[in-house]
Amino acid sequence: MTLTATSTTAEVPSISGHPPYAPVNRRRLVPQRFHYIQSRLVAYGLMFPSMAVFVMFFYVPAAYLLYISFFHWGVLSSATKFVGLANFRILIHQPLFLHSLLTSAYYTVVMIPATVLLALGVALLLKEAVTRRKRGAGVWRGAVFLPHVTPVVATSIIWVWIFNPHFGLANLVLTHLGFPALGWLESVHWALPAVMIDTLWHSLGLYVIIFLAGLSMVPRELLEVARLDGARRYQIFRRVIWPLISPTTFFVVLLSTINSWQAFSQIFAMTGGPHGGAGGPAFATTTDAVLVYQTAFIYEHFSLAAAMSLILFGIIMTFTLIQKWISDRVVFYR
Amino acid sequence: MASIVMKNVEKRYSKKDEAAAVEDVSLSIDEGEFIVLLGPSGCGKTTVLRMLAGLEELTGGEIWFSGRLMNHEPPEARSVGMVFQNYALYPHMTVFDNLAFGLRSRGVPKASVKQRVHDMAELLGLSGVIDHRPKELSGGQRQRVALGRALVRDPAVFLMDEPLSNLDANLREQMRLELARIHRRVKVTTVYVTHDQNEALTLADRVVVMDGGNVRQVGMPDEIYGSPADTFVASFVGSPGMNLWTLEWESTGDCISMGGGVLELPYSFLPALEEAGRSVTVGIRPEHLGLSLVKADVKVVCRVELLENLGSHSQLHAHLGNEDSNDSKNLVARLDSNAYVDPGEEVVLTTSAGAVYLFDAISGERIEVADARYVHQENRYSLA
Repeated sequence: MTLTATSTTAEVPSISGHPPYAPVNRRRLVPQRFHYIQSRLVAYGLMFPSMAVFVMFFYVPAAYLLYISFFHWGVLSSATKFVGLANFRILIHQPLFLHSLLTSAYYTVVMIPATVLLALGVALLLKEAVTRRKRGAGVWRGAVFLPHVTPVVATSIIWVWIFNPHFGLANLVLTHLGFPALGWLESVHWALPAVMIDTLWHSLGLYVIIFLAGLSMVPRELLEVARLDGARRYQIFRRVIWPLISPTTFFVVLLSTINSWQAFSQIFAMTGGPHGGAGGPAFATTTDAVLVYQTAFIYEHFSLAAAMSLILFGIIMTFTLIQKWISDRVVFYR
Repeated sequence: MASIVMKNVEKRYSKKDEAAAVEDVSLSIDEGEFIVLLGPSGCGKTTVLRMLAGLEELTGGEIWFSGRLMNHEPPEARSVGMVFQNYALYPHMTVFDNLAFGLRSRGVPKASVKQRVHDMAELLGLSGVIDHRPKELSGGQRQRVALGRALVRDPAVFLMDEPLSNLDANLREQMRLELARIHRRVKVTTVYVTHDQNEALTLADRVVVMDGGNVRQVGMPDEIYGSPADTFVASFVGSPGMNLWTLEWESTGDCISMGGGVLELPYSFLPALEEAGRSVTVGIRPEHLGLSLVKADVKVVCRVELLENLGSHSQLHAHLGNEDSNDSKNLVARLDSNAYVDPGEEVVLTTSAGAVYLFDAISGERIEVADARYVHQENRYSLA
């Protein structure tokens, strides 16, 4: 019996016409350790391009941010001086920083419930339309998601026009309904709500799609059996749908919290002038992220901005952990 | 308890649909009766059940519960309890909360809810798992929770959609007995959907056989088995189904010969055959065929293809006549476990005249054979 070069198994040639012994697996002759290393190399090789991008543009800047927060550091200056926790001490005693934290907190506290209520409401309406096979349900779903894929700056400019106190659409509607006209972006009280409305409009589509995915995971039979059990619509929602979509709601709350603490783009586009003076009027829309930008790129205090970013990171991490702790107790995972 | 009347019930999912999911179903169900809708997948039995529950709108006809028109009543107003194929238990609730959901939704006082739920748990043997969630229960326990949830509200009508299909064979049999026991006890009007004829024949007061959205036959289990209305019912009910062969007949000196001599029938069949025409469909159940040396009324010549020993009996697969080509008509017979025949061997199977059914070759409807009636009556009690 002959061995062929292409076969992976081969039989031992028989002696004196006896049947051959058990076939030898050639792969077994290669040390298993080699296969282990080979498979690991392939895995790491495939991961390398994305890992390289991730490390280069996320971990390295984050580590460098941590580093410069303990130094007095200028972008064009070579004189770097270790200052310990001095940057953090300065921030704690700076009223504008504390004001920015409060502004971010206010923004977050309003945005989370508004996002959840609005997105869930729209998702329920769309789900109902799809279930009842209403015409145009698919079109509406696309229309709700459309704002999320439009550029923030472009849509914010339109919203600036809408909120113009003199000829904007918002005041036109308000006065038409008998309400007094508002100053919107020129008012200390109404500038942040105006930004919130724009942000809600822009991000709603994403959260609606997430809720729609969550709602589609609720088995139809459960809703049918609840109806047969005599439950009314709000009972079905409160006692069947709401608990079953709690993982989705938790995810939306988490995402909305992180995005709210980091609120920047809309504020920058709606309240910023040509010289980067965003956050007005009278610092009414100066969130922590806006202040980080201004401190770093307008006042060129990079070390201070790095310390602010770390504090912001700490706040977001703390909120996330608290939410995780709560979710472990109230969220139902099937 | 409620009586149910369905008048020309029809369901079309689209106006363009030429074939209706359910067409012209008329049925009257008495109070406390256990009705089983039996048929293959896609025959419309679940659609009928969902229309009774109010989960599907009718596109034609009427549904009445105890003299009250239900066509436009929502599910919550129908006093219907339903068990779904996958049980549809609320996964985030305990057994107690699952059972109590319907009562709480209808505003039953707390003390009464507690009492009724505990009574139901007791009846169904769920007291030990009352605080468990569905994922902590076995298949049989989940099944019982689903039953309990539907029954605890004392519904007027109890609907079950293939409730045993997710259970293994042993548990299915056990639950079947339990269902029969529960129904005897609560006596609620029940409509049960299944494609399993054993469930249908053992549980039902009456069986409704459906196919293609139509009712093919309504009758007591022994009627469905012993007097099938047409070739569909004959082939669907029974395991294996009835042997059906469409053959031409001729009268010889001694008997009636069919298919060129492969089947011999006694002269008592002549009036029925003359009424049917030259070509007729003959049906014989596998369990009524046997290898017998005793002179018999009916003889069937066949060539053995395979003999399967199934322990309690053997199943013979053969070709009708003495040909063994794939084009020839197949035959299945249920023989004693000690029967032995060789593959390829030509054998003569026999049966009594009463075990032979005649059907119209075109419409498939059964033709009454007057003299054989008393034997059909006997067959009713020899269920497979």
